Amino acid sequence: MWFFILAELLVFGVFFLAYAFARTRNVELFNASQLELDQLSGAINTVLLISSSYFVVRAVDQIRHDRSRSCAYWLIAAMTCGGTFLALKLVEFGAKLEAGITMSTNTFFMFYLGLGFFHFMHVVLGMVILGAVTLKAWKGGYSATSYGGVETGAAYWHMVDLVWIILFPLIYVLH
Amino acid sequence: MMKAATFQWLILLAMTAVAVGLSQASLSDNAILAPVLLTTLVKGRIVIDRFMALQGAIAPWRWVVLGWLVVVVGLIGYAFHMAQT
Repeated sequence: MWFFILAELLVFGVFFLAYAFARTRNVELFNASQLELDQLSGAINTVLLISSSYFVVRAVDQIRHDRSRSCAYWLIAAMTCGGTFLALKLVEFGAKLEAGITMSTNTFFMFYLGLGFFHFMHVVLGMVILGAVTLKAWKGGYSATSYGGVETGAAYWHMVDLVWIILFPLIYVLH
Repeated sequence: MMKAATFQWLILLAMTAVAVGLSQASLSDNAILAPVLLTTLVKGRIVIDRFMALQGAIAPWRWVVLGWLVVVVGLIGYAFHMAQT
């Protein structure tokens, strides 16, 4: 799993640097386009992902204490945050498309929509993984001596959070 | 252990608020660059070391992931600084 996570981090790293260096040649365009973003939505999404990561930490702690049901409850809380994140992103993307903004509008929006959708798909995959882990935890499939699956799912979810922690200031905050 | 995790979660939320607050303040682009990137570095380190529990993990995983964070945030800072000068 760690090789997979590292590969994902490398890909996101390349995209982040491509954005940052592309911006050096179009500073005014990037700054003007950034003003059209909903920073509040981005900030709420940051709170949601950070909180979901914390809930996953709590889930791992619970299974270490052999509390399978409690582990599942924390995972459900994490997925609720993840689901709300996805819903907010859909509203955000929908508003942009309604305003006639697409990936071909300009370089900034190409990165904003491209990176945002790429990360969105990772959140979807993270939700699928957490969903499978939750189901197994609910059925008592993990124990204090056998919880590798919970840790693997947690590592992937934290990676998704880590990427957003950089993506948010890069696209929504720095100008 | 969970008290520490709760404290780290609150730190992460507070740092997010600081970054957003800085971007809303009437400060120059240059003035917000370093503090926002610094909060990003600290938040990233908390997630890597505490949430991913890589602190104390078998080498080289922690250093590879922390290295990725430092290189990416550092180069972003360089690119933004270059664009401002």
